[in-house]
Amino acid sequence: MAADENTASAPTPRRPYISRKFVLVTFLTFAGVIGGWAFTARDVRRAEIGADRLVAYEPLPADSGESCEWTPVDTALAAVAGFPEDGANDSPPKQPIRMIRDPYASYSSVAVDAANDEVVLTDENLFNVVVYNRLENSSGGAVSKPKRTIGGLKTKIEFQSGLYLDPKNGDIYAVNNDTVDRLVIFSRQASGDVRPDRQVHTPHGTFAMVLDEQHQEILLTVQHDSAVVTFAKAAKTEDAPIRLLQGEHTLLADPHGIALDAKNDLIFVVNHGSVHQVQAGKPTLERSFGGGDGKANWPLGFGHAIPGSGKNLPPSITVYSRGASGDAAPVRVIQGPKSQMNWPTGIAHDPRANEIYVANDMGDSILVFPASASGDAAPIRVIKGPKTLIKNPTGVFVDGAHGELWVANFGNHTAAAYRLGADGDTAPLRVIRSAPPDKPTLSIGNPHPVAYDGKREQILVPN
Amino acid sequence: MLGRTMHSIVYDERHDEFVVPQQFGQAILTFRGGADGEEAPIRVIQGSLTQLRNPDRLAVDPVHDEIFVPQGNQVLVFPRAAKGNIAPIRILKGPDTQLGANALAVDPVHDLLVVGGRRGGESHLLIFNRTDQGNTKPKRIIGGPKSGLAHISGPFAVYPARSEIVVSVRGAGSESNEMATDDCFVGIWSTDDNGDVPPRWKIGGPKGVLRMVRGVDLDPKNKSVIVTDKRLNAVLTFYFPEMF
Repeated sequence: MAADENTASAPTPRRPYISRKFVLVTFLTFAGVIGGWAFTARDVRRAEIGADRLVAYEPLPADSGESCEWTPVDTALAAVAGFPEDGANDSPPKQPIRMIRDPYASYSSVAVDAANDEVVLTDENLFNVVVYNRLENSSGGAVSKPKRTIGGLKTKIEFQSGLYLDPKNGDIYAVNNDTVDRLVIFSRQASGDVRPDRQVHTPHGTFAMVLDEQHQEILLTVQHDSAVVTFAKAAKTEDAPIRLLQGEHTLLADPHGIALDAKNDLIFVVNHGSVHQVQAGKPTLERSFGGGDGKANWPLGFGHAIPGSGKNLPPSITVYSRGASGDAAPVRVIQGPKSQMNWPTGIAHDPRANEIYVANDMGDSILVFPASASGDAAPIRVIKGPKTLIKNPTGVFVDGAHGELWVANFGNHTAAAYRLGADGDTAPLRVIRSAPPDKPTLSIGNPHPVAYDGKREQILVPN
Repeated sequence: MLGRTMHSIVYDERHDEFVVPQQFGQAILTFRGGADGEEAPIRVIQGSLTQLRNPDRLAVDPVHDEIFVPQGNQVLVFPRAAKGNIAPIRILKGPDTQLGANALAVDPVHDLLVVGGRRGGESHLLIFNRTDQGNTKPKRIIGGPKSGLAHISGPFAVYPARSEIVVSVRGAGSESNEMATDDCFVGIWSTDDNGDVPPRWKIGGPKGVLRMVRGVDLDPKNKSVIVTDKRLNAVLTFYFPEMF
């Protein structure tokens, strides 16, 4: 996303100038960034960037080591703004003049505890797992009040993108996407900043999970390595996966959501489409993400990537036998323009209707396919439109006990329930809301790099 | 073609473009500066000749029209305007480079390439000539206990007008501080520094507002340093006229 920043006091634009004799003075006098260049008759290069910045330069002698004399900071200013170069100042660290931050929860995944009439959501903005009454309904735009919140450094909860509730005891399973390589498990009544009852070290870049209660297994997608790993349900700490699905023939490509059809022994995986190939052998990087090198069934990481093998495929749903492993091909693939998939992120299976629901992030829609669909199949229903409140949905859950579909909307501070079978621009049955409707959603999720666009005075923040 | 896992972005004001690596698809994507919505990149570097393995970060030199990509023990250099399946025009690689490259920045004024990363468990800033290639020793190395470069946290910036390197730094990795730490700061060194040199300035910490600093960019016009923080899930702007 790109966020506008107000700049209260823009300096007067400066014009470019530099001379061969005064290159050093120019560097120290004119602030700027390097941009367009031209050569003058005196072989002095100039650059003008937009209308208000300049940089000009001429090449300096190679390897001079003295190209630009350091100008010591004014000590009085340093005491206010930061530490001087010796770092011995006791002044408090500088505070920011602005902070772009969303103060409200942004929900990314959802699950229902039918036995206890609770709905559980992960919040990837404030880093919590939040529990609400299942029948909670924000009316008039009121903010919903949670029953319990799990969050804080002890919990290891951060960007929890995958969620599962144990139907027998209500245990909460929540897996992190990109920052803490851990699946954390809490009892149903956990609240506050508490340690997980159990943790499992996972590969780096897990996204979603599904539990197979019949076979007592946890299946996790791994974005970074285009893989699915399976752990024993009782796995703990450093236990290795018991199965790995990874390889060119799997057609896994930046996999996200995963769903299980227990009756037909199938798993469904939604893929964004970007992928590279890997090969076993000595890794070519000093460190491979995830720290699982040497463990059985650990996916091959970037250290094993084949250079130049990357490609961008159309989004897809790949369907496998539940126990598929190795470089197994899918039994079916849904892929193509008719499918309307655009960053399909969450997926759930409705066993009664034998349908799959897809949270179509960039399409602001929920796509419904027959579970038997194949090829360039069109959805049989699409939930989309202003009445639905669906905005950047990333999580979807089928509550068969109550005949409801739940959607977590990362893009508007809401999660909402619909009747199963809903179609078109249908209003939700109930809405859980973390913020008043008029509050903007920043959609910041793990901001890593940042770039400043001086031309538009905008900050670019990929997530 | 964008993914949900982007670890670098560079705005090239001269050409009004921004450039993003796509690590899963092993591609370099260039977009219009004003790109909005579902807009396709105007150029894509991708394919078997590229040698792209895990393009996680990058730097753009708009003056000499080049894109630099760090990849662990090597740095690949491509023409900025290249597209398709093209080979690098230079590769910096070999034991003498001491590379453990995970981020870099280019100073096109002083013709320097600054590479940050870890090797043998220690973080360093390696300073090369911009056009160095092959098995070339760095001109200077900043690192060591006094430097405070415990862990270079993300993409960093250089400010050629003052020969400054602006780097986000977090504390040494351990389970206790993997999510947040008081040790975070943004440090400013000179490209003339060499050896175990402390930063000239520290911004936002240690024991400051930053909890898990990530990327850095500069707004020279407003004399500001812009910083992302993963734990705050926020973008912070520090006014810091001393460095400009």
